[in-house]
Amino acid sequence: MTDIDVHHLAAAYALDALDDRERSAFEAHYGACEVYGTDVAEFRQTLTHVADSLATPPPASLKASVMADIATTRQISPSIAPVIALNQRPRARSLMAVMAAAAALALIIVGVVALRGRSEPDSFSADLARVMEQPDSQVLSLENKSGGEGSFKVAWSSTLGEAVLIGENLPAAPDDKAYELWLITPDQAMAMYVLDPAADGNVHRALKAPADPSAWAITVEPAEGSPTATGDIIFIADV
Amino acid sequence: MGVLRSIRARPADIDAGLDDPCGALLRRAGRGDQSAFAELYDALSPLVYGVVLKVVRDPSQTEEVAQEVFVELWRLAARFDGTKGSAKSWAATLAHRRAIDRVRSEQAARVRQDRDANQVVREHDVVAAEVESSLDQVRVRRALTQLSELQREAVELAYFGGHTYREVAVLLDVAEGTVKSRIRDGMIRLRDELGGVA
Repeated sequence: MTDIDVHHLAAAYALDALDDRERSAFEAHYGACEVYGTDVAEFRQTLTHVADSLATPPPASLKASVMADIATTRQISPSIAPVIALNQRPRARSLMAVMAAAAALALIIVGVVALRGRSEPDSFSADLARVMEQPDSQVLSLENKSGGEGSFKVAWSSTLGEAVLIGENLPAAPDDKAYELWLITPDQAMAMYVLDPAADGNVHRALKAPADPSAWAITVEPAEGSPTATGDIIFIADV
Repeated sequence: MGVLRSIRARPADIDAGLDDPCGALLRRAGRGDQSAFAELYDALSPLVYGVVLKVVRDPSQTEEVAQEVFVELWRLAARFDGTKGSAKSWAATLAHRRAIDRVRSEQAARVRQDRDANQVVREHDVVAAEVESSLDQVRVRRALTQLSELQREAVELAYFGGHTYREVAVLLDVAEGTVKSRIRDGMIRLRDELGGVA
């Protein structure tokens, strides 16, 4: 599925008329994409009017079953706004400690080189779909600490050992610098991928994910990449 | 930037309760308030049950799926974000999604023994006949008549019939690309007729 397809599928997505693969790919994409998020929200609101016209009273017994069921169902916690970390910065410090420890473990750090050939859009979609199909797949938006534009999302499956990185609207790295993606575990920070956004500010990349991440981070490093993290963390997400 | 956005988001979130009474109930439910959830159930259960029944058809399965939907609304209540749509819209989306999941997994099991495409086409006629009197129904029916026949068929087969656009293409015997654009054009026209805001 190309980007253009994704953009044309907002209506079909709102109607639940995509198959599982397309649905996953669409969700991975549109989370980062304001305009199509609005499209989907509007289509859903339209369909809520249609849904209203279908209203049918349920059997009276259903309410008792539902209330009995929720009484024994734990509620999940609200998602916490990432600004808390931005102001207090404890997370950043502990990650720097993690990265310092990683420097001592340089031998096991995965090489800086990109681990695959350059992804073409179609194969990227296939890579994305393959990751998203895994029952254990997860998607995270990285918190932007750079003060500038841009967003990153990462999706990965530990059982598959693969990840995909989607960056949008990114400014070019400073002169002689590049962005570098790190997969952080309790023991080490693995250098995953050195990237310099294309002219349109987008990055679509499939990667190996050789360990179970406890966090993902992006730092600014020398243009040729660095085996250990030396620059500022500009994007980060805890798993 | 992020700080500013989140500071602004909070009062808006609270205000949202004023024009989204279900949203206010859902937020209370998110703090574990079962009586708020009971009120929410009263407000939303005809919509949730109606949507699921339309797609699933079988009343006993519909009851199971509707129950799943409400338990999920309860479980996820604290994650409700009023800036992304109303609580009612969230419930309708979840109900339709769960209904679709049910019919697709049923279908996957059934298709192995029985490839009966004709039945699917029949469902569509039944759907059209079922739309009846209330104001909402009149409004929606009128809006649907504003669509071209292919747009309407494609949207109905997807939303009521639970088919993917590829399946709709087979049912209507037109190219997938045609169905994709008919669905999009149809939804845009429906949005213009019915509105895309609460």
